[in-house]
Amino acid sequence: MKRTAMVSLLALALALGAFPVAAEDTISFGAAVSLTGKTAKEGEYTRDGYNFAVDTVNAQGGIAVAGKKYKIAVKYYDDESKSERTAQLIEKLINEDKVTFILGPYGSAPSGTAAPICEKYKIPMIEANGSAESIFSKGYKYTFAVLSPAKLYLKGVIDLVMSRDKTVKTVAVLGENEPFSKEVASGAADYAKEKGLQVVYQELYPTGTQDVSALLTRIKGMNPDVVLGAGHLQDSLLIVKQAKDLGVSPKAMGFSVGPSSPEFRENLKGNADYIFGSTQWTEALKYNGDDPWKTPKGYAEAFRAKNPKYNVIPYQVAESSAAVIAFCRAIEKAGTLDPTKVRDAIAALDFMTFYGQIKFDSRGINIYKPMAIEQLQPDGKKYTVFPAAVAEKEALYPMPAWDKRK
Amino acid sequence: MGFLALLALLLALPKLVSSYKLLTYTRFLILALMAQGWNFIGGYTGYAAFGNVAYFGIGAYTTGLLMIGKWHVPFFPALAAGALLSACVAILLGLPILRLKGHYFAIATLGVAEALAQVADNWDSLTDGSTGIDLPIKSEGEFFYYTALGFVILGLLATWAFARSKIGYGCVAIREDQDAARMLGINTTLYKGIAYAISAVFAAIAGGITAYQNVHVTPGDFFKIDYTLQMIIATIIGGVGSVAGPVLGAAVYQLLSTYIWGRFIELHPTVLGFIIIFFIVFLPRGLMTVIGRRRKSGERPFKASDLLANVRAHRVT
Amino acid sequence: MGGAELGQIFVNAVLLSGILALVALGFSLVWGIMNIVNLAHGAFIVLGAYITFFLHELLGVDPFLSIPVAMLALFTLGWIVQRGLINQVIKAPLLATFLLTFGLELLIVNLINYFFKADLRSVTTPYSGTGFTLGPVRIPYIRLGALGVSLVLVAALAWFLKSSRTGRAIRATGMDIDAARLTGVKVATIYAATFAIGAGMAGAAGSLLSMIVPFDPTLGGAYTQRAFAICVLGGLGNVANVVIGAAIYAFVDVFVGARLPSLSRAVTFAILVLLLILRPQGIAGKSV
Repeated sequence: MKRTAMVSLLALALALGAFPVAAEDTISFGAAVSLTGKTAKEGEYTRDGYNFAVDTVNAQGGIAVAGKKYKIAVKYYDDESKSERTAQLIEKLINEDKVTFILGPYGSAPSGTAAPICEKYKIPMIEANGSAESIFSKGYKYTFAVLSPAKLYLKGVIDLVMSRDKTVKTVAVLGENEPFSKEVASGAADYAKEKGLQVVYQELYPTGTQDVSALLTRIKGMNPDVVLGAGHLQDSLLIVKQAKDLGVSPKAMGFSVGPSSPEFRENLKGNADYIFGSTQWTEALKYNGDDPWKTPKGYAEAFRAKNPKYNVIPYQVAESSAAVIAFCRAIEKAGTLDPTKVRDAIAALDFMTFYGQIKFDSRGINIYKPMAIEQLQPDGKKYTVFPAAVAEKEALYPMPAWDKRK
Repeated sequence: MGFLALLALLLALPKLVSSYKLLTYTRFLILALMAQGWNFIGGYTGYAAFGNVAYFGIGAYTTGLLMIGKWHVPFFPALAAGALLSACVAILLGLPILRLKGHYFAIATLGVAEALAQVADNWDSLTDGSTGIDLPIKSEGEFFYYTALGFVILGLLATWAFARSKIGYGCVAIREDQDAARMLGINTTLYKGIAYAISAVFAAIAGGITAYQNVHVTPGDFFKIDYTLQMIIATIIGGVGSVAGPVLGAAVYQLLSTYIWGRFIELHPTVLGFIIIFFIVFLPRGLMTVIGRRRKSGERPFKASDLLANVRAHRVT
Repeated sequence: MGGAELGQIFVNAVLLSGILALVALGFSLVWGIMNIVNLAHGAFIVLGAYITFFLHELLGVDPFLSIPVAMLALFTLGWIVQRGLINQVIKAPLLATFLLTFGLELLIVNLINYFFKADLRSVTTPYSGTGFTLGPVRIPYIRLGALGVSLVLVAALAWFLKSSRTGRAIRATGMDIDAARLTGVKVATIYAATFAIGAGMAGAAGSLLSMIVPFDPTLGGAYTQRAFAICVLGGLGNVANVVIGAAIYAFVDVFVGARLPSLSRAVTFAILVLLLILRPQGIAGKSV
């Protein structure tokens, strides 16, 4: 037993390490994003977006709080794309690294996990990548999202198609069974019904599905005018690939997540053409904001100058930067680092940015910023095609059948 | 003496460490609970259960739903209900699947866990599906630590008593040779069922405590195979079929992996993988072979050279 | 379910069985002969997928032509892993090798993620998504080719185990290691060959999957789990059993997925558990 005790003591001692304390004139933020696992890529976008905004703010002198300038430092951990890990990491950031504020993780599931932990310690979190309204239905006071809610993602595709074609009648919706995609799918189906369309197919498939041929075969039999997919990048790629395999050729196909990311075309090559994707932000939008970059164009150019590996800027990057900007503004308004006061300042925010209007409803979600729709076109580029006021090009419609393309 | 000192240290720990460190230790205790449970069926009885996370999930959801439902059941009764329900499910499922042997039993339990995960994912009216449920927030870290510690100590006593009981001997006999055990008049179905139900109770308690501490409970998080793997790994690291092995293994695994992912942001799985590989190569039968040896009369203490002997003993030429 | 839909679903299931058979083939061999449940099998599959992807992307090699390269590379890796690591603990309890391969899987997947990043990739050729139609049923060329490759490899392995000297030695070792040793079989070499063949088959499966599903470093885990289920369904000890197991798995998965996609896994596993309870030795396996 003596040895057991000694080994256990040793093991206990192992975890008792010291951590560096943040310097006096910095404000420390904490973030747990996915660097490995299923959403590692999106996690990378999130981190790059945070870092870019932080570097920009720091380069301009930092945040002014009650006459003193503070630099921002962000402490990152990897949540391994496992939302249960997020809970532990947020606890670690708050209790061990003593961060003052939390920047959100990537995805609705981990944001849902992080929210009650922030509530527990009364530390405000602004998240940029979790748009499921279920996160905001629990009455938590310390969680805010700068992005538009999930149910709005595919609304634009329906509006766009209906504005172009009065004969559209039927829609098929397939989605991944996880908090965000579930809301995207039901939001799209509800909206289609509201607009008088017939939803002929509405099913969820389990996360991690590797074969959707069974669903698509069923959809093919129903021959819908529009096919909408609510899943993540991998699912969207799989659906397009297998739709071509099986000859599923609707008049329009749209996805909540996927088309906006550069990997969509890299993977699908020409098969990506004509596909619609919803997006929280594109550089074609026309905002004139009160932030270091002012406009979407200005943001895009500055970002690319610092991150040359990005050719196209995914919206996850921009919304993540917007979360940092929202924090800076709220902290300056509050004039203190006191978490509760900053929380109240965040709740009261209402200002325009390169990313669009940032303002939160009573639940903490930003319902004031519209979504946009992009389309991949045969010239190899991606254009913002909806809303009409900001469209770079007219949408190509209908999508030609797979076997009618050259 | 050493044991009492350790106990005193464990009891005083919440006063000594930061609240995050305490959370890490609570995690370790929860893993220890799961591993202790697994040890009954996987260690003593020799049935490689691959789906114990199902009971972790049932415990978490039962506890959570009772606490937030219209009855607002307090935590401990809700936890007890979860444990009870898990035991019942284990007995019902155990009757058919405990007839299976070896890998077939393993995959049947895995199948049950996967199926239950999807049921939780789709039963919107009860579990709110993949969206998940949120429990009431309780912020006192000590509460969870002491709760878990209490159950781990209970678990140690239960394992100790089990190993010396008629049922315990019966289970070991089943592990060594089931047919012989049956011929000796052991009611193998009953004994296996008991061991399996006990393992389910432990997993359910671990699940209930984790649910209350994490607040947000989703099928994706509480039915994932990772937990099953972790409880098996912890038991193997400590030593399968020993009283203290699972707790020791859980301590090593949990504290080591926590330490590693705090230090190596992007390469932590690689480091952990290396450590697991080296550990298995040198100590394939677990840490208790190092510690337990001395107590058996006539055996010399474990030496470093035994590590190499271990390698030689288990290789094929 | 209309006739056209039924026909298409049937064809989908047949095409899926072929790939799944190859996915499970190496896993089954290693498990049956060496009694190792190789959790790193999925990582080997991912490596195969990356080899095909990079040969296609950088050198323009047709993905089907890169299959032998992937197999050879994984064969070599499998040999090294077996001689260097697994052989050290092969006589330890089953759970030790299980944990060892778990560690190996963590390590390989994380290293792939570190070096190649988490980007999703897929091999897209000019003939991707093209196919022909048989009445109302569409058959994509790539999936058909994948089925062909799987069948060829399954048949080749069956022939090898049955008719070649090494193959017979492998089977003998699997049945009775001591007896095999007495007849002059070098067990360590045979084990290395077995594991290497298993890894090579995983490499081929990865090559095929890279053309069919978009993949990232985490692709493998799901396929290890499927291989596990297929081996149990079919039973160990015979190449034909793998094909039967894969077919059952694919048919259940595809037919359930057509009607109840959100519960497809639950139903698939429930059927699997029921089958096990009714036939504990596997569907095709002999009684143990």
